[in-house]
Amino acid sequence: MLEIRELTRRFGENTAVDHVSFEVPAGQMTGFVGGNGAGKTTTMRMVMGVLGIDEGEVLWQGRPITRLDRRRFGYMPEERGLYPKQPILDQLVYIAQLKGMERVAARTEVTELLERFGLGERTGDHLEKLSLGNQQRVQIIASVLPRPVALVLDEPFSGLDPAAVDSMVDLLRDYTRDGIPVLFSSHQLDLVERLCDRLVVLAHGRRVAAGTVAELRDAGVPRFRLVLGGDAGWVRDQGGLEVLDLDGGSALVEVRQDGAEQHLVAEATRRGDVHEFVRVRPALSEIYREATA
Amino acid sequence: MSTQRETDRDTEPAWLLVTRREVVSRITDRSFLFGTAFMVLLIAGFIGFTAWQEDRSEDATLAATPEAVAMATAIGDGAPQVDEDLTITLLEVDDRAAAEAALTEDEADAWLHPVDGGWQLTSESSLQDSLTTVVEAVVRQQVLADNAAGAGTTVEALEEGSAVTTDFLRGDAEQAAVADAVGFVFVFLFYFAALVFGMQLASSVIEEKQSRIVEIIAAAIPLRHLLAGKVLGNTALAVIQLLVYLVVGLVGLSFTPYKSFVPALSGPTAWFIGFFLAGFVALACLWAVAGSLASRTEDLQATSTPLTMLMLVMFFGGLSLDGRGQVIASFVPPVSAVVMPKRILAGGVEWWEPLVALGLLAVFAAITVWVGERLYRRALLQTGGRVSLRQAWSAAE
Repeated sequence: MLEIRELTRRFGENTAVDHVSFEVPAGQMTGFVGGNGAGKTTTMRMVMGVLGIDEGEVLWQGRPITRLDRRRFGYMPEERGLYPKQPILDQLVYIAQLKGMERVAARTEVTELLERFGLGERTGDHLEKLSLGNQQRVQIIASVLPRPVALVLDEPFSGLDPAAVDSMVDLLRDYTRDGIPVLFSSHQLDLVERLCDRLVVLAHGRRVAAGTVAELRDAGVPRFRLVLGGDAGWVRDQGGLEVLDLDGGSALVEVRQDGAEQHLVAEATRRGDVHEFVRVRPALSEIYREATA
Repeated sequence: MSTQRETDRDTEPAWLLVTRREVVSRITDRSFLFGTAFMVLLIAGFIGFTAWQEDRSEDATLAATPEAVAMATAIGDGAPQVDEDLTITLLEVDDRAAAEAALTEDEADAWLHPVDGGWQLTSESSLQDSLTTVVEAVVRQQVLADNAAGAGTTVEALEEGSAVTTDFLRGDAEQAAVADAVGFVFVFLFYFAALVFGMQLASSVIEEKQSRIVEIIAAAIPLRHLLAGKVLGNTALAVIQLLVYLVVGLVGLSFTPYKSFVPALSGPTAWFIGFFLAGFVALACLWAVAGSLASRTEDLQATSTPLTMLMLVMFFGGLSLDGRGQVIASFVPPVSAVVMPKRILAGGVEWWEPLVALGLLAVFAAITVWVGERLYRRALLQTGGRVSLRQAWSAAE
């Protein structure tokens, strides 16, 4: 498990990341969301040791992370690029070796990955000779070297064509299945909702929400929708509730006092037909909008 | 950046991996190979040309008015003993006017005639080096012989006990000329290598910075290793190339009439390689900094200007300095990298002088490595346009 504790980074007067804490559990995908300038990239760079840490710490398997731990992490920086004028096999092997793999093992691993991404025939080609889509695939391979123990990916899906997104998703699922913690940032909330087990929301350098998707949707004041056979105007007189919306037989209420929803159901049943009584959970985008507002 | 100092014993050190990539990617680069091959051809060609020029026999026509015919004939006869490549043809003319006409019309190369207290060799406008040398030598011999006879003695008697022979004087001058030429080659080779490999190093730093691969590398290894690997790789390449050039040059020289100088040149050449190594490492770090300060290749022009200026100062300083200026410059890094080898070539250097100069240069290199590493590490991850030296120095990591 990767733990981020009270991480802080200042650039002059500006505090880019302000005492941010969260966890990336093993075998889970943790989505890291927030607007531009929220501090996602700065946080990830600190986790990877590319940027110095002003305050706080990063823990790996319960102890402070070391450079050698990080060497085994897969990392995809926000801005992409490799050596344009070097054969793709050679440069991927070079990166794998820099990350501590032995040469022969690196070659085997890289060759397997290139084949998996349909680039088995192109190993000797210079990167710049490949199509943009294939260059992205090479970039993805570079980020999962060397048989990582954790993955830190900054906007891994941005700029990918749909086919590459699917390969990336498959690859990430393979890693989480093997028990590897994955942290990735994204602007694409639909993708995050589809993929992530957990979510961390950052706004202006501060963590504003964190938890599993279900936890986040359950968090906050519970809301219920009640649909009746007759007019629902009487709901306004019920105690412990706030009516957010009222339209004929339909009412949306927020519970202000524990148990108030039970009294509401009892009263509704006493008065006549109850067509629907349901807990309303906000969409992720709504939570995100509220959290970052 | 984490401060843990750990080693990974299972794998190669990171700097060695970087060095190898630098060397391999360069050595397999066609433009590098063609450039080196072209330079080798140029050196071989130049030496071949010099040798040919040296071997070429010269013909000169010497005009002489009646009162000088006897002397001119003696010169024609004596010429082969002084300069075996020179053949002198005698052209008898009637008077001064005829002699001058012969010169203007290129029928003669020079006109010999007696003047008060000696002889004069008049030519049209161009210097007749080899002819002059021969005439001087023979005239001196003749006149000396005449004077000796007049004084009732012989030239041999007069010259007895004088250790200085004309042959020795001439050889010394030739050695100085060779030292000058080789000195120029040293200065040029250093300038050329420092500029070409420096530019290459700077642009490979920008390539990594611009493509952002540096962030992947920074997450894997300390940037210190990246810098060390790049500097070592380029130094190795520059030294290998230099050795190729020097070997081609020295071997080529051994096929020319200058072959007797080759043994005397090997000592200074060895010193030069030492100075080249220290000087190149110092400058390579500065080139890496110039690269790291730029964000795009287009910025390199601006960030490397101070360095290209320094290179020019070294080049022209190395070539033009002499006397006390040269002695001082031969201890001042990084100019000493070219000036001291030149002084060693010229001779007259105390044994400790190159050692002190090399020591100072090594200290300078160590300082640039230290300063360069700090600047490089801090500037490398800043992508918002050009980074100033001050920003790079004071930036937090």
